Amino acid sequence: MQIKILRAGLHTSIQDLGRHKFLSQAVPVSGAMDPLSARIANLAIGNGDTDALIEFTYGNAAFKCETDVLLAYAGGGCNLVALGSILPSRRAIFVPAGTVVELVNNEHGVRTYLSVAGGWDVENVLGSRSTYLPAGFGGHHGRLLKKDDLLSSCSAMNPSTSSLLHKLRCDLLRHSTWGIPQTFLRPENAKTVRIFAGREITWFQGRSVIDLLAEPFTIDLRSNRMGILLKGQQMERAVTKELLSTAVCPGTVQVTGDGEMILLMADCQTTGGYPRIAQVASVDIPLCAQLKPMEEISFSLIDHNEAEHLFYQQEAELKKLSQSIRIKL
Amino acid sequence: MIDQETEIYALSESSVTVVFGDEISSLMAEKVSALNSAIHNAPFHGLITTVPAYATLTVYYAPEEVFYSGLTGESAYQKVSGYLSALPVSKLSKEKSTTLITIPVCYGGTHGPDLELVARHCMLTTDEVIKLHASAAYRVYMIGFIPGFAYMGGMDTRLSTPRKEHPRTKVNAGSVGIAGNQTGIYPLDIPGGWQIIGQTPIQLFNAGRPEPSFLKAGDTVRFKPIAIDEFQSQTY
Repeated sequence: MQIKILRAGLHTSIQDLGRHKFLSQAVPVSGAMDPLSARIANLAIGNGDTDALIEFTYGNAAFKCETDVLLAYAGGGCNLVALGSILPSRRAIFVPAGTVVELVNNEHGVRTYLSVAGGWDVENVLGSRSTYLPAGFGGHHGRLLKKDDLLSSCSAMNPSTSSLLHKLRCDLLRHSTWGIPQTFLRPENAKTVRIFAGREITWFQGRSVIDLLAEPFTIDLRSNRMGILLKGQQMERAVTKELLSTAVCPGTVQVTGDGEMILLMADCQTTGGYPRIAQVASVDIPLCAQLKPMEEISFSLIDHNEAEHLFYQQEAELKKLSQSIRIKL
Repeated sequence: MIDQETEIYALSESSVTVVFGDEISSLMAEKVSALNSAIHNAPFHGLITTVPAYATLTVYYAPEEVFYSGLTGESAYQKVSGYLSALPVSKLSKEKSTTLITIPVCYGGTHGPDLELVARHCMLTTDEVIKLHASAAYRVYMIGFIPGFAYMGGMDTRLSTPRKEHPRTKVNAGSVGIAGNQTGIYPLDIPGGWQIIGQTPIQLFNAGRPEPSFLKAGDTVRFKPIAIDEFQSQTY
């Protein structure tokens, strides 16, 4: 299967679930900003969890299917449109050769993940297919996708993906009768991000910690794949000592010298020297990845144990989902 | 075993950090390195990787794998913390098991545009700067900031020079610089404010290698001055 990029959009790259083995050499995790949507786009066509996807940032992009293509998409920021109708998200879609698919902006979210049967075929670099732009490796030649790029799927396919392709294949655009419900992607209150205390939380004034939990914070325009800058009440220090550089990871909320908070995301550095006021529960990172500049969020405090419990809960739900999909296929 | 004053905290649902102290010293570095070796000699089920820093070691793991491992505890965090606390760590040996790495550097000229500035600032001749820089042994404390960047200690304080007021928009990969009391090598072409005194033809980072970073925490580095024609000879 092959597609050709007609319009690449704002920031489009190949990602998977990240590169985890070389953190000690300061190679960032990278990977999908919203790993949950990425996994759902893969699940919907029976792909493996770690197959590579295309991460689009909003819409304003288009591609042409050079061959018949079995694909799925999940996330936010745009809808896929072909032959005048919106293609349903979180569902397997068969697109016949020659079809042009447009990505049209929508109001909800930022990043959309496009899976293809077998996963996108790019080189595995250091255990991952994710693009890491600052050092120019991974993904499609270590760079963003651009007009006229041709992307192919891996030839090997899971048995469930093959059977799905067999069922849907025809001369027309066609999608599976079942899909993955939206509730998989969003907790009930999508504007509240759960955090647990960062190691240096006691380095901050009590009133700042109260502000952190009581006040809204706005996503700043300068946010990117490395981190989300949060505007709002400044976090004032009670202890002014310096932190010796130590490991940080996606989800870490660090406070810069002028009291601003940065929530570290997929492409963040592996070590940092700013005090860490909080850590976002990993189950809420997908929500953060879909926040647009100027949107407001608030934080609620849980403990580390609960964060770990939420993680297991989500993994269990995904496992059940994957099993039920396998039965349907 | 980890001693009593050592702290362990949860960095995320899939990582814990062991804190030995809050200073840059070879004692700290040796403690970090000893625990790191002990973990890799007896890895637990679910271990992903470890990240050594100045005085901390962070251990990354897959919580669901740890949870179903034989370790005791009610959460992956407790299980990994328990494992780390009980891990036999060999006594710090007097003979340090460090890898000595010699890095050839072409000092000055177009490869080291700030060499004269550093010499003036330190009230030394350029030859003296080169001699001081190339005669010390540097310890790599950690790799961080950008892929393959080594935080090193051991520079002669007579070479201390503040960063540039206006950073360059591009510093070439391999450039050897000074910032304050630190010396370091840029592994990639990036913007930067260090005073550049030379350049090495060695690739500090290459994603195409099985071990992409040329340097690792615990290495000892020495710089060896080379002439410009050796730099260009592509022997490296």
